Amino acid sequence: MKIIIADDSRVMRQIVLRTMRQAGFGHHDFVEATDGADALDKVATERPDLVLSDWNMPNKTGIELLRDLRGSGNAVPFGFVTSEGSEEMRETAAAAGALFLIAKPFTPEHFESALVGMLG
Amino acid sequence: MTTYSAPDQALVHAAIEQVWGSMLFEAADPWPTGVPAEFETGLQAHIEIRGGWNGRLLLTCDSAVATQIAGALLGIGPDEPVDEPDVHDAVGEVLNVVGGSVKGAIGGSMTLGLPGVRASASPRSSEESLVVSWRGNPVHVQIVPDAELAGDS
Repeated sequence: MKIIIADDSRVMRQIVLRTMRQAGFGHHDFVEATDGADALDKVATERPDLVLSDWNMPNKTGIELLRDLRGSGNAVPFGFVTSEGSEEMRETAAAAGALFLIAKPFTPEHFESALVGMLG
Repeated sequence: MTTYSAPDQALVHAAIEQVWGSMLFEAADPWPTGVPAEFETGLQAHIEIRGGWNGRLLLTCDSAVATQIAGALLGIGPDEPVDEPDVHDAVGEVLNVVGGSVKGAIGGSMTLGLPGVRASASPRSSEESLVVSWRGNPVHVQIVPDAELAGDS
């Protein structure tokens, strides 16, 4: 499966990738996106099976990215990996079509729990 | 009407302990009293919180400490080099996650800005800051409400 990791922090993209490997998902293909606008372009060109996105990003936030995808009829599975995990944000994410929200700081177990049914 | 609590040092310290323990795999012990905690050449990360409470969090540390924090975050060995953009990125991201925890603890409808990083000496000793120890070196964290910036008490 192909997974897009969208985060404006290169360091955080590396940490998400490392944590995915630690959670047992390292055999999948990963594509990095540097913000929401870049992720929107790469969803169109890469046709991923999953998008893992930060919330707070320049150019286009994660929630704007998700709403743009759903607004254009794209139903790619989508989850947030973000430093903010309030109930309000979880409700907003779910209402927009996100499958899960993993709050930073996270552990491999958080990814395993959120993704095991989807990625196996 | 929703009321908000201003973040205090105990709340911020708890957030730092959580972030350092889970992302940097280090303890965040309080800096010992009476020991100088100043340095000349360092980095300062800043992030804004907006909503029921308005202000900034600042994290300031020596440049070498910032490089060590970046290495710990990336999970690389102590002798491996880290590019300066990654050092800035890492220190900003650490404060971003601390800010996310603080924002969540304040509650209500709040927004967190994007982190920024710039060169800075340590805060002056007259400035109130929480100081924690990173491998025997000081890291300053300040809570700066907008009212303080405007000169209000």
